[in-house]
Amino acid sequence: MTDATRTIRFTLNGRAVTARIAVYETLVEVLQREFALLGARESCAQGLCGCCTVLVDGTAVSGCLYLAAFADGAELVTVEGLPKDGVLHPVQQAFVDKGAFQCGFCTPGMVLMTKELLEQHPHPTEDQIRHYLSGNLCRCASYPEIVQAVKLAADKVHI
Amino acid sequence: MKNFELVEPATIDEAVALLDPDDAGVRAIAGGTALMLMMKARLFEPVRLVSLRRVNGALRGVRENAGGGLTVGAMTTLTELERSPKIAAALPVMSRALHTLSNVRIRNVATLGGHLAHGDPHMDLPPILLTLGARVRAVSRRGERWIDIADLFVGYYQVAVARDELITEIDVPAQPAGVHTWYAKFAALSADDWPSVGVAVWYRTDGERIAEARVAVSAATEMPLRLAGAERALVGNAPTPQTFAAAADVAAEAIEPVADIRGTAAYKREMVRVHTRRALAQALHTGRAAR
Repeated sequence: MTDATRTIRFTLNGRAVTARIAVYETLVEVLQREFALLGARESCAQGLCGCCTVLVDGTAVSGCLYLAAFADGAELVTVEGLPKDGVLHPVQQAFVDKGAFQCGFCTPGMVLMTKELLEQHPHPTEDQIRHYLSGNLCRCASYPEIVQAVKLAADKVHI
Repeated sequence: MKNFELVEPATIDEAVALLDPDDAGVRAIAGGTALMLMMKARLFEPVRLVSLRRVNGALRGVRENAGGGLTVGAMTTLTELERSPKIAAALPVMSRALHTLSNVRIRNVATLGGHLAHGDPHMDLPPILLTLGARVRAVSRRGERWIDIADLFVGYYQVAVARDELITEIDVPAQPAGVHTWYAKFAALSADDWPSVGVAVWYRTDGERIAEARVAVSAATEMPLRLAGAERALVGNAPTPQTFAAAADVAAEAIEPVADIRGTAAYKREMVRVHTRRALAQALHTGRAAR
């Protein structure tokens, strides 16, 4: 067997980084092991729940179904990369303001999907919000507050 | 997951040279969303994966072809298809289905070529492409050939693409003006789940009668397939609720439903009946504006 491990280079939350990975590792595994970033976390392991959401070249992907090797050369953003100078991203602040979580396990994924949603639909309707986030599960069922937070974020964020 | 060899060729020629006609452990990988599920479940343990991401540019995008239809590169993501103005204008039935196909993250990564090559009977686009009369270009070291979509699906997770072949593009012919189309997706569990039943319908009226009809079912059956009996029940008749109900009965009785967590065989048969009837009725409201 050739090619057991390889070095990949990518931009992670604005910083150029390298990582030694096995070809079978997923993106979420490498982010946790190599960079101690725990915001993207594996929950359903099937791409259904959204807890492992990572932005790759500005697009949300399921980090649990994405080979880390495919991140080579890409620009990655995790929830840890959203605050600027210690100030929460407006989407994060909107989730805090509306108390849009209980345990918080799904929140990083919800926040990153909301960021992509607002880039696609700066003024989303409630239907668009629920449709866009239908692939993000909140087991505490904070959905009403999450929808409120997305609406608040849409009012604050001007992309 | 076990270790394997991951190769990332830069051209189609290099990619097909790395495939192996004799080894089921060698496969092409595009977005990988479906293959990764199989690998994590150890249903598939690859020896070598031939990644197509560096070939990308040559295989991506939607363009008009010489016949007035659309040609879609196999590496075009489902999100790109969903947002394509060309698809929305010419094939609205496809755009609509893409909105509820899995979720945004999967659509951002999954590709049309992978969607077809996987041969999963629960995929949404195969029954639609069956009714639209699509064809698929497959390339190998031996040359290239076009596979009619009706010949592509040959069994449960089985397609007519050989192990050393690569799907490079998908052709969808120009559709007749005013054709009526609809895809009814019935998800028994959550909204973004795999369908329990998928029914795609396509028909053309000439005056008061249905002149030509296509009905395809998926998810309820071991593979997506056209239902010739239901199609015959439509042709020559007026597009009325009675005609639609009669054709739906034929569709329901013609299939051999596969039971799974999304329904028993008997339940799926009834759902095929209901959703064929509804799809035919919904389709009547489409296609008024000629392309």
